[in-house]
Amino acid sequence: MHGMRKLLTIPLAMMLATPTVAQTRAIAYTEFDLDNGLHVILHEDHSTPIVAIGVMYHVGSKNEDADRRGFAHFFEHLLFEGSANIDRGEFSRHVERAGGVLNANTTGDRTYYYEVLPSEQLELGLWLESERMLHAKVDQKGVDTQREVVKEERRQRYENQPYGSILIEVLKRAYSVHPYQWPTIGFMEDLNAASESDYKAFYKKYYVPNNAVLVVAGDIDQARTRELVGRYFAEIPRGADVEHPFIKEPPLKGEVRDVIYDRIQLPAVVTAYRIPAIGTKEFYAVDLLNRLLSNGNSSRLNMALKEEQQKAVYVGAFSLPFEHPGLAIHFAIANAGVDPRELERSMDAEIGRILREGVPKMEFEKLKAQLETEYVADNSRVAGVANNLATAYTLLGGTDQVNRELERYLALTPDDLQQAAETYFTPERRVVLHYLPISQKPQP
Amino acid sequence: MSSTMHRSLRKGPLIGFSLFLPLFMTAQIDRSGPPAPGPAPTVQLGEHVTFTLKNGMRVIVVENHKLPMVSVQVRFDIPPIVQGDKAGMVDMVGELLAAGTERLSKAQIDEQVDQLGATLATTNDGVYASCLKKNLGALLPLVKDITTAPSFPEREFAKVMTRTRSGLQQRREDPDGIAEVVSRAVTFGRAHPYGEVTTERTLDNVAVKQMKGYYQLFFRPEKAYLVFVGDITEKEAKRLATDHFADWKPQRPATIKNEDGSEDMEGLGRVRLMPKVAVPSGTRRVFVVDRPGAAQSVIRVSFPLDLQPRDIRALPAQVMNTILGGGVFNARLMQNLREDKGWTYGAYASLDADRFNGHFHASVSVRTAVTDSAVQEIIQELKRMAREPVTREELELAKRFMAGSFGRSLEDPRTVARFALNTYLNGLEDDHYATYLQRLEAVTVEDVQAASQVFLHPDKAVILVVGDLEHFEEGLAEISLDRARPIMRLNEDGELWEEPITPVTDRKAEDVIAAYITAVGGREAIAKAAHARRTAIGTLRGQPLRHTEWFAPGRLYRAESVVNDIPSEELVYDGERAGRRGPNGQEELTDVDLLDLVFFAHPVPEADLDGRLDRMVLAGRTTVGERPAYKVLLMTQHGTTVADYFDVESGLLLQRVEEKFMAGRNLRVVTTFADHTAFAGLMLPKRIVRRGHPDGRLELTVETVELGRVPAAGFFDTGLPPVVEPTEFETDPDEWLNNMQPGGDDGSED
Repeated sequence: MHGMRKLLTIPLAMMLATPTVAQTRAIAYTEFDLDNGLHVILHEDHSTPIVAIGVMYHVGSKNEDADRRGFAHFFEHLLFEGSANIDRGEFSRHVERAGGVLNANTTGDRTYYYEVLPSEQLELGLWLESERMLHAKVDQKGVDTQREVVKEERRQRYENQPYGSILIEVLKRAYSVHPYQWPTIGFMEDLNAASESDYKAFYKKYYVPNNAVLVVAGDIDQARTRELVGRYFAEIPRGADVEHPFIKEPPLKGEVRDVIYDRIQLPAVVTAYRIPAIGTKEFYAVDLLNRLLSNGNSSRLNMALKEEQQKAVYVGAFSLPFEHPGLAIHFAIANAGVDPRELERSMDAEIGRILREGVPKMEFEKLKAQLETEYVADNSRVAGVANNLATAYTLLGGTDQVNRELERYLALTPDDLQQAAETYFTPERRVVLHYLPISQKPQP
Repeated sequence: MSSTMHRSLRKGPLIGFSLFLPLFMTAQIDRSGPPAPGPAPTVQLGEHVTFTLKNGMRVIVVENHKLPMVSVQVRFDIPPIVQGDKAGMVDMVGELLAAGTERLSKAQIDEQVDQLGATLATTNDGVYASCLKKNLGALLPLVKDITTAPSFPEREFAKVMTRTRSGLQQRREDPDGIAEVVSRAVTFGRAHPYGEVTTERTLDNVAVKQMKGYYQLFFRPEKAYLVFVGDITEKEAKRLATDHFADWKPQRPATIKNEDGSEDMEGLGRVRLMPKVAVPSGTRRVFVVDRPGAAQSVIRVSFPLDLQPRDIRALPAQVMNTILGGGVFNARLMQNLREDKGWTYGAYASLDADRFNGHFHASVSVRTAVTDSAVQEIIQELKRMAREPVTREELELAKRFMAGSFGRSLEDPRTVARFALNTYLNGLEDDHYATYLQRLEAVTVEDVQAASQVFLHPDKAVILVVGDLEHFEEGLAEISLDRARPIMRLNEDGELWEEPITPVTDRKAEDVIAAYITAVGGREAIAKAAHARRTAIGTLRGQPLRHTEWFAPGRLYRAESVVNDIPSEELVYDGERAGRRGPNGQEELTDVDLLDLVFFAHPVPEADLDGRLDRMVLAGRTTVGERPAYKVLLMTQHGTTVADYFDVESGLLLQRVEEKFMAGRNLRVVTTFADHTAFAGLMLPKRIVRRGHPDGRLELTVETVELGRVPAAGFFDTGLPPVVEPTEFETDPDEWLNNMQPGGDDGSED
């Protein structure tokens, strides 16, 4: 009952996937393409009689039209509604009746569906995912219900949580052109406007084998799995080539500052810096800087703001792992009675220290040790391995990145970090938000 | 039938598959239904070894070399204690344990853990750490230090205290955090270890000496389990355990036994264990933490249970809970509230078998408008579980899912260690987990129904809603079985809610009323409104309503309402008696209903209180919504009290609160007045919302106010039959005889 003390719930931390990375021992896999363009990755591991089946479609909220914000995620909900052979409500029933679990998630860049099943149910998983890809079906009841469900998801995760709006408020100020300016969850009015032609067009355009990767990881026989994959997926027709337009976001016109009044008692400070895309050397450097700032009790923001100055009750620094140039978000919640301006000065001082003094060797070694452990833990379950393989293929430029990413981190030097800080952690590249209690809002 | 063919083939040994490849290539697959599963592999539970150090510490080792990682846990067997006015102390023990040892400062510990790339977490009952195998040798001395020689430094205590106090403020703005704490408080009671609430007041009483006392009393080797999991051999574990922990033999602290079995000890004071197991009791009751404007309502339906993990009924109970709402998407609550109705992102039920005190709770967050309906659905689902047998299909799905979860959990080698630890802590049979799948398979429909009947208590449920009360007050009150207090309003710490009032000394109630009358337009203008007609449109219980009222001097009053375009009610008050004519005929209003009219049948009743008011009191300054307001208590000559809230800035009436006993319940009727608009020279509210009334929520938008029209004679006749005097000797027989005289039966009391 007296569990580990959890002071605060930080929705931001939950929303951000950590970047996919390799482990010290290479992950073995084989991969191939079907004629219809579906890329398939197999990973064999017999330690436990389970299998993870995942399909990642290279479509996310950045593929949405500006008047259909949230559509990709809404569509993800609809794709549990059934297929030509699966009635409404049966999709999950098949999985759970087989002793498995299923879920899906959507980001700005991709949509991922997965099942984890007892390994004797491999074929069931392949049938389900191939049905989803071949001829998904949604009836009006499904559309109407899921629209309401998504609205409740938005209320629960973003609106009824203190600081829950941070990502939404940051994104809309950090981007002016790029679809990253809106959150994956989208906006109610756009979901209300979505119609049947939208669903059909979206499915036809993005849910095609040549825009997807299938991963099967776990207690499998590769030859047989390869065979079964062919049987279930080869008949799915190839779609038109999917264009992934690159939208160039212009630089910010100087520092953007704003105050958000929220239902909170403790003020918070958010600084969000524009950073390069996932997979670039600079991204890894910035990500290491974020770890330097907030990974572990001895990290810099933690030591300075929580321990030494006692100005903050929570600190965090994350990189948004976006396929196009993303953001580094630094976040601190003030201790009672601490002025957010003072808190911001302390956050800035830690950036200033990196710029001035660089990163000492010993601290750099610490970051490496943390990364090494993290990668092993991150690939300790077949569901995690499946996700990492799919992400590497879809967003990092190749499946082999799953085993290369750690090297790419470890190849960085303290100078690279200092340089990245000089380039990216600058006022003209950032959005600064102060979250204040609504009671402090000036009366008009 | 190709599906039959490949099904039979798959039963063959894997090695034969390549031979049949060509056949598979050409075979058409049958997409119409799910493919049959292959032969199920056996679930391997995994082994653990255990031994005891000479100081009594039991060591559990699970060897698994798949990954180069090792986790180490020291877990103490500690009963929950009553912290009372020091609530929060036990949680702080967990925070402070790693905040310094006799040898190391907190900064040194943090630095070393991070240098090793390790994780380390402490709780009030132990330490957990993990790292790469190569770093274990360096990590273990830290774990040992933290476990055996924590120093609880005052400086770190002060820091943790600051953060804990900030965390309290934070929690009070987090609807989920509020629900978690308050639901436990009302389910177990604030005197139970599981229901205690940490507040600033209890934190004021927490001191380092108590934590040291707690540590000395409960962190003892003979009550400890040391658990190694991962890339380690039994031999290595034995050596590490012996080297680091075998010589740890702390002195037993001196305690004084009391007559009631409790103990007193230096530092910690009176050690009070859980007094008795909380069980479902009382009647179904409803608690609300009001959050005006909340985006959603967070709902908890819960009750305590006397259910231990070793109870053989625990497994059927878990199957039952899975069918109801435990983790599967196809559970009833999820299917009903999400997939059928679209009211929520997720609805869950959880049933904790606990060796000290079990607990059931259903939890869901829904949009405000369906709050009471969602609670009603949960109650109905609980009742249905007990009333009807579950279907065979539901049972199968739940059992298969639970078996699958069991299998999946074994992917993590720490699961095996957790099983071993649970077996010791909960006094389970040695083969509890080995026979789990077998026992699960044996659970029947009847077992599930029996478990529902024993462990589900919809009529004793404790319902907590954190949300915008004014939108579901009436509906929730109906769900409550507590007639005396259908809804108990609590604050964010689970204490009875009290209106925040600050005293006002610069004015009296009479001044506030005078200011109000001036703001409305002055006494003269109000007097002109002696004859008035007001029309409004709106809704009653969500149904469209047209409402017309006539006022005349002497509190004469008439109101007509039309619901859904059908005349529904006519109310007339002739200054003495009041009648209400509705679809079910006519009735005379008495008691509270009549007193309402005596007082309020006036466009601005506060302007004409002569002979009706006993006295008025300015209670102080508070807020209505966001607006500062003066609260004035009007005590009538009939003994009722009404609270009026006047806007500090404009002087106008914002809200009226009446607490009264109506329809067999204590009710709090709240009427809010907004959008004050000039009607016929008077500043009167355009928008009126009444809630908490047994007739249901009333929302009105005033359309017109006309003055000076005097209705025809007889317009305010009630049409009630004359009062018939008693025909039995209830009173003085002489009086009765008098009444029998001619002319005495005209019913007039004048």
